[in-house]
Amino acid sequence: MATVTVEGFPVRTEFSYDLTHHMWVEELGGERVRVGMDALGLETSGTLAHLMMVEVGTEVARGEPFGSLEAEKYVGPLVAPLSGTVLAVNADAVASPSLVQSDPYGAGWMVELSASDLEGERSGLVSGDEIVTRFAQKVTEYRLEGVLAE
Amino acid sequence: MTTWHLLLDDSVGAADGLALDEALAARHRRDRREMPVTLRLYTYRDHAALCGRFQHLEAEIDIDACRRTGTEFNRRPTGGGAIIMGAHQLGVAVCAPAPVAERPRSILRRFSEGVVAGLARLGIDASFGGKNDLQVEGRKIAGLGLSLDGGGGLLFHSSVLADLDIGFMLDVLRIPAAKLGSAAVGAVERRVTTVTRETGRDWDGKALREVIAEGFAEAMGVELEPSEPDAETRALAAALVETRYGSDEWRFQRSPQADATGTAVLKTPGGLVRLYVAMSGDVVKSALFTGDFNQLPPPLAELEARLRWSAVDPDTLTRLADQAMPEGSGLGVGNGEIVTLIADAARRARALAVAAPNRSGSCYFPEPTREGSPP
Repeated sequence: MATVTVEGFPVRTEFSYDLTHHMWVEELGGERVRVGMDALGLETSGTLAHLMMVEVGTEVARGEPFGSLEAEKYVGPLVAPLSGTVLAVNADAVASPSLVQSDPYGAGWMVELSASDLEGERSGLVSGDEIVTRFAQKVTEYRLEGVLAE
Repeated sequence: MTTWHLLLDDSVGAADGLALDEALAARHRRDRREMPVTLRLYTYRDHAALCGRFQHLEAEIDIDACRRTGTEFNRRPTGGGAIIMGAHQLGVAVCAPAPVAERPRSILRRFSEGVVAGLARLGIDASFGGKNDLQVEGRKIAGLGLSLDGGGGLLFHSSVLADLDIGFMLDVLRIPAAKLGSAAVGAVERRVTTVTRETGRDWDGKALREVIAEGFAEAMGVELEPSEPDAETRALAAALVETRYGSDEWRFQRSPQADATGTAVLKTPGGLVRLYVAMSGDVVKSALFTGDFNQLPPPLAELEARLRWSAVDPDTLTRLADQAMPEGSGLGVGNGEIVTLIADAARRARALAVAAPNRSGSCYFPEPTREGSPP
């Protein structure tokens, strides 16, 4: 397990990322993956107040919502980074969204999926050596836009 | 120059008004983007009480008072607290494609510039402040909200206070200021302002539309073309009234996070200070300081604003207190004691949330609880 700090934000380098929607994917073995939101996505959404997730057994498509969140008057979708069937929802995170913010890559995970096309969709995620560079680019971009403080 | 559609409506019903906004946003989903961005400027029929997307409606809105006064009640798709809408509040909706890479805070700020530019035409210097509000010298003049749907449609909402019947608001929204007796109106006035108050002229929502439209055209660099919803949008809105905004399932929906409020008291050389906090789970949705002072000390007013939507861990509270009160609270106590006051109120709220999950407060104030009555 390797956590590095990129421009002030923790990043787990063994995970894969959808950096457009700031979701991470941890492969748990076989087709089973765990999904959560990365630290930069959380910081730029604001303090989470509410989370709602779809029910276990729901099929979700990559790019489509598996739930929704409210943060500082913003209501938006939690976007699935992979297609699959929801195997588990983190009830602790739903009951207390601050858990997502305090431990985004650990206890604050959101759902587990049985990925339906892991091989095919994995290439759409950022992983390996690219993670740190691409994450840093995002931080720079957000600072230039004024979304993040300098 | 890019053209936006401009829709003007007056006296819309709560369900119809909300449904049309959502229908217009849905027309901008990835699979059906064939119309320009729409700016809708409208007023609700007197009156509509609207809670935020995940609030517990009955905890925020007094249903009996609504029935007594003919006030409709419903749930917005956007976040934030409960509001009153009517002829003297201008509803602003921007319905557009959701930018793929732009973060919500940036979107909110960008579209709020249209309202800021409109108010500037009246000589009102409003700015983005607090937690996603528009403020004039620390007083809220417009609320902002944003909803991105899963299909790629965007709905930006703002409610601009042309004027506000504070007494009516205190009747209908379940806010603690109502229990401050004769001090209630003053408590609201210290935190909220209106276009009427800022300009010294009477305004209603309809009268504000022209300057707000001009503000959007200027700030967004677009041309506004008067328009009407097409048949497809109307059909979609009618379906949404049927399936969502007209249904009790939507209006009385409960979210998984427990809401509750708590209060705590601190004796200071400057007098007694009581704090009410409204929590949603572990997050402060609103905070209200009251006490033995004629005017809310500015450092506490600043802290109220910073506490909204914040976590209540010690590090966060200490940082917020130091940011809001760099030279102290003005009450003769250290920031650490104020932090302890906040933590105590939050702890009590969370204890109550476990026992009886209920309310989280309006967009202006939390609600006092059984733990104590206001001073």
